Amino acid sequence: MTDTTPAQAPAAADECLLATKDVTVTYDLTHEALHKTSLSFESGQVTALIGPSGCGKSTFLRCLNLMNREIPKCSVGGQILYHGHDINTPKENLFELRKSIGMVFQQPTPFRKSIRENILFAPKKHGRVRSRSEEDELVETSLRQAALWDEVKDKLKQSAHALSGGQQQRLCIARTLAMKPDVVLYDEPCSALDPISTFAIEETIRSIAESGICEIIVTHNMEQATRVSDRTAFFYVGDMVETGATQQIFSDPHDQRLVDYLTGRFG
Amino acid sequence: MASQVHSLDDHVSRINRQDKVATGVLTVIVGLVMLLVVAIIAYILVRGGTRALTPGFLTNPSAAEEAPGIVYQLWDSFYMLIVTLVISVPISLGAAIFLVEYAPDNWVTSAAKTAIETLSSLPSIVVGMFGSLFFVVTLGWGISIIAGACALTMFNIPILVRTIQQALEDVPRSQRDAALAMGLTRWETTINVLLPAAMPAIVTGIVLSAGRVFGEAAALIFTSGSAPARLNFANPFNFVSPTCPFNIFRPACSLAVYIWRLTSEPTDGSVEIVWGTATVLLVCVLLFNLLARLLGKFLSRRLTAE
Repeated sequence: MTDTTPAQAPAAADECLLATKDVTVTYDLTHEALHKTSLSFESGQVTALIGPSGCGKSTFLRCLNLMNREIPKCSVGGQILYHGHDINTPKENLFELRKSIGMVFQQPTPFRKSIRENILFAPKKHGRVRSRSEEDELVETSLRQAALWDEVKDKLKQSAHALSGGQQQRLCIARTLAMKPDVVLYDEPCSALDPISTFAIEETIRSIAESGICEIIVTHNMEQATRVSDRTAFFYVGDMVETGATQQIFSDPHDQRLVDYLTGRFG
Repeated sequence: MASQVHSLDDHVSRINRQDKVATGVLTVIVGLVMLLVVAIIAYILVRGGTRALTPGFLTNPSAAEEAPGIVYQLWDSFYMLIVTLVISVPISLGAAIFLVEYAPDNWVTSAAKTAIETLSSLPSIVVGMFGSLFFVVTLGWGISIIAGACALTMFNIPILVRTIQQALEDVPRSQRDAALAMGLTRWETTINVLLPAAMPAIVTGIVLSAGRVFGEAAALIFTSGSAPARLNFANPFNFVSPTCPFNIFRPACSLAVYIWRLTSEPTDGSVEIVWGTATVLLVCVLLFNLLARLLGKFLSRRLTAE
């Protein structure tokens, strides 16, 4: 899989940044929503998770930063290796973990605060910024990375709720980047947005990958997967059916279920 | 073909007629309710308005020879309200946060919820009896403001817990997830994200419940008493004195209790005072409602557009 990652970070050359081994997810103690899934993700790479509704792709995504722990009666089996260390253990400090594995949700979720405070909220809580100048710098770099700076630089004190949906979503990306994560998870980030905003978000995702961050995106939109991702994994009824370089998945699919999905026979 | 068009026209006109009748009936019902409210308010205002506006009515004690007033009752009502809120708001806030954010989904939690709901339907005279036996006698506080405030707390808590619970639950789940996904703890999420988002609704709920507490009489008769207080505003910081306005261990008589007392033991000219007091009480409660709306609007604008 190294051939698809031209800008790979040297640290991850021998082992993957994030990998899952036989991860299973069970809801309500009996319903297994995701069967043994093993995937690996590298720095500077965008991976798309595709598949019909209810196939387990979002469930899988939410394992990666242990968001599934917030759901009662949901258990996750298997190993999730992050920097070579299994995080799927009761002892893992999820609050520490989530500082370096960020997540962007389907609906834009800006807090009821100003644009500036939205960015600074978590870094301040975690004691990462000390002075006013550090704050200003963090706000600017995060917003620039999310390609939002030019649009909002004159109204940083205004409410984040006054922004358009696409801008709000980019603010959420900027907010996540302000934590300096090395993995960012996107759960259908564009499904509530118009085509122009979607395009802007896709550009942003690509440019973030170029800065060496590992990105994983769940999407319903197959064109989107081809536009933004280096690798693609196809999920079907709780199974990870096929994975490979995006180009190969879309031009030369092997599994019949993937072929059917791509040709629109279901989904 | 022609008959089909004809029957369609019939159908449409029948539906329109039904719609008009239904709307008419509902309008009349709403109109009656509004008429009732307006009539009660107008009647009380007209009967008591002149008395309430008499010079000295709001500033003289009830024992005054000339122009007896209700200043002590007014003070006691507000003071007892504040003490009640100081006790009940933190408890309710804590209980609501626990129920919404932390409580595991089991029988203990559902029993707690049922208990809170039961508390809200207890008759206030029963709460008053309990308060008199427990706070006044068992704890030995005597007939006092603190005993009255605790009795009021008992039926303010269910209302507040319910409103705060509702306000917290109305914050979109995505806000909670977003904060948790940034590595914040549940507590940080609750304090920094959920509470600010729910604050307008919480404040509105608190002020509305204050209106209810303010007008309560039955629970107070046995707990804070009905004897008109004699207060000394000249020396307000002698906290042990029975005439100290801030002393929470002295008896007090609220506006509503005062109305009850004057009605059950009428004296010369007391009818006029009752109407005047009722007017003041009503205006206060209306002001609370108005304040709740304004504050809610102001806060939500402030919190979203800042």
